[in-house]
Amino acid sequence: MKERLYQVWRALIWTFDPADRGEAGKAVTRNFWLHWFPPRMTKESLSWGYSLWLGTISAVLFFILVITGIILMFLYVPSVERAYQSIKDLEYAVSFGWFLRNMHRWSAHMMVAAVFLHMLRVFYTGAYKNGMSHMAKRQINWVVGMILLGVTLLLSFSGYLLPWDQLALWAVTVGTQIARSVPFIGDEIYYVLAGGTRLDQNALIRFYTLHVIFLPALLLVLFSYHMWRIRKDEGLAITEQFSIARKKGEAVQPEMVFSTPWAVRRIVLVSLGTLVWVMFLSVFLKSPLEEPASLEWTPNPAKAPWYFLWLQELVAITTIRIGGFTLNGGFVGGVLIPAILGGAATIWAFIDKSPAEATGVWFHKSRLVQNLVFTFFVLIIVGMTIFAMYFRGPYWGIYWPWAWPELPEII
Amino acid sequence: MTEKEIKNKRREFLKNIGRLIGYGTLGGLFAGFGRSLWPNILYEPPKRVRLIDPKNLAEGMNYFPEQRLFVFKRGGEVWAISAVCQHLGCTVNFVPFGEKIEKKILGKVIEEEWEFHCPCHGSKYTQEGDIYEGPAPRGLPHYPLEIDPATGYLVVDMSKEVKKDWRLKLS
Repeated sequence: MKERLYQVWRALIWTFDPADRGEAGKAVTRNFWLHWFPPRMTKESLSWGYSLWLGTISAVLFFILVITGIILMFLYVPSVERAYQSIKDLEYAVSFGWFLRNMHRWSAHMMVAAVFLHMLRVFYTGAYKNGMSHMAKRQINWVVGMILLGVTLLLSFSGYLLPWDQLALWAVTVGTQIARSVPFIGDEIYYVLAGGTRLDQNALIRFYTLHVIFLPALLLVLFSYHMWRIRKDEGLAITEQFSIARKKGEAVQPEMVFSTPWAVRRIVLVSLGTLVWVMFLSVFLKSPLEEPASLEWTPNPAKAPWYFLWLQELVAITTIRIGGFTLNGGFVGGVLIPAILGGAATIWAFIDKSPAEATGVWFHKSRLVQNLVFTFFVLIIVGMTIFAMYFRGPYWGIYWPWAWPELPEII
Repeated sequence: MTEKEIKNKRREFLKNIGRLIGYGTLGGLFAGFGRSLWPNILYEPPKRVRLIDPKNLAEGMNYFPEQRLFVFKRGGEVWAISAVCQHLGCTVNFVPFGEKIEKKILGKVIEEEWEFHCPCHGSKYTQEGDIYEGPAPRGLPHYPLEIDPATGYLVVDMSKEVKKDWRLKLS
């Protein structure tokens, strides 16, 4: 009986400790969770220092978000009368409600960071290049990755509205007004996004549905495609280095290891590490909840979440006035500039004509110029974020962080 | 044209009709689904609202939070200025100076008792709602006021704008 149960278990789950090469290979192909891996991979693909495992971290964070999010759906009511109260209940009445909310929130913040860093890693290692491969089309995965970054930001943004507190309302007021500032079609976009001409119940239920179904489903589909493409592209870009070395006549033989336990072991390690870190943050750092949402007054200053602060800085300084013609900074800084930056980064994978040797290596010298230009833009974004975070005070004025002016009570 | 070619042509034609029907149906279906998300009825507060008995208006600034509206009363005259920042929709703050001060704004010296400042991106408006600093593309709108003949209450119509020197004389 015990033997039979063990066989069933073996059939359902991969073996972590294959008895022979045959079993190691079968463990991958027969297991649903592992079949998207090749039976064997180069040991270099699993290197900590090459990929920094940021993609895996992003995926793990996403799964933490799905699980905590589903539980939160049982406890949250997407109605303007009850949303705020249900968050208060999470904080004070529901057992471990605060912990769920913190985990969801910290995973979300970390996911934005992880996906962004993953994008940086791929750029700096030239990992969207095809190297010697005739099969690979890694540029496609770069494009998919950029869309995934966008979806991650939209998920964070749509989740921001849900507590229906002051922080939420004003972040989303500004966000939706940016959409409204698009010439000609802005009003229509706003109308369908908010479900009316002001942020109210219609807007809340729309953002809720986007947040819990539409965007996660989209992200999951794109993520699956992202993973599938890695195999179609013949593995991580670092493996191209072997083909390059062989072409040069060097007798290198990549060390091939079985996906299980080699890859599985590291994935489990990274997953546990990520989970522990999220739990650690969630135990010690509270999620903020401001006063209930009220259009009657705006907090001073009303700051966007950190990953949008550079955009807040941009929309505040990019209004264009030429004679009688005025173009709202909401459109220039909130739509036009990010679209140009994002678009340029996306198509760059097709424009980059650096030699095959630069595929899958950190900071290859042939890509020095483009790395510097890319870094320049990244530093501008990071710099604007820091500036907006610490040097913008009441009425979005410029102050030292320790020298904010005393404000009279607003009537 | 051989018989075979005619057959092929007919086949191609029928295929295209099939495609047209298929894509047309799907397109129409999703257009309909999409259209359902454009509300036909809005349950929003009206733009034309009864505010207050003008007798109860304070001299100077009166803020109506639900309408996000400032109503000013000065020497028997009233006028209304929106509190919605024209940049990205935050609610501006009323910033009184406590006395009449002279200020040089955009090269002109004007007298002011108050201003409107936006907390979100720092747009600054003069006493009359003109933008003089920050990203807002235009000034704060002024709305017409009227007295409801039935109740004698002050009514604002936020569906249309008036010039900034517009005033309603209270009798």
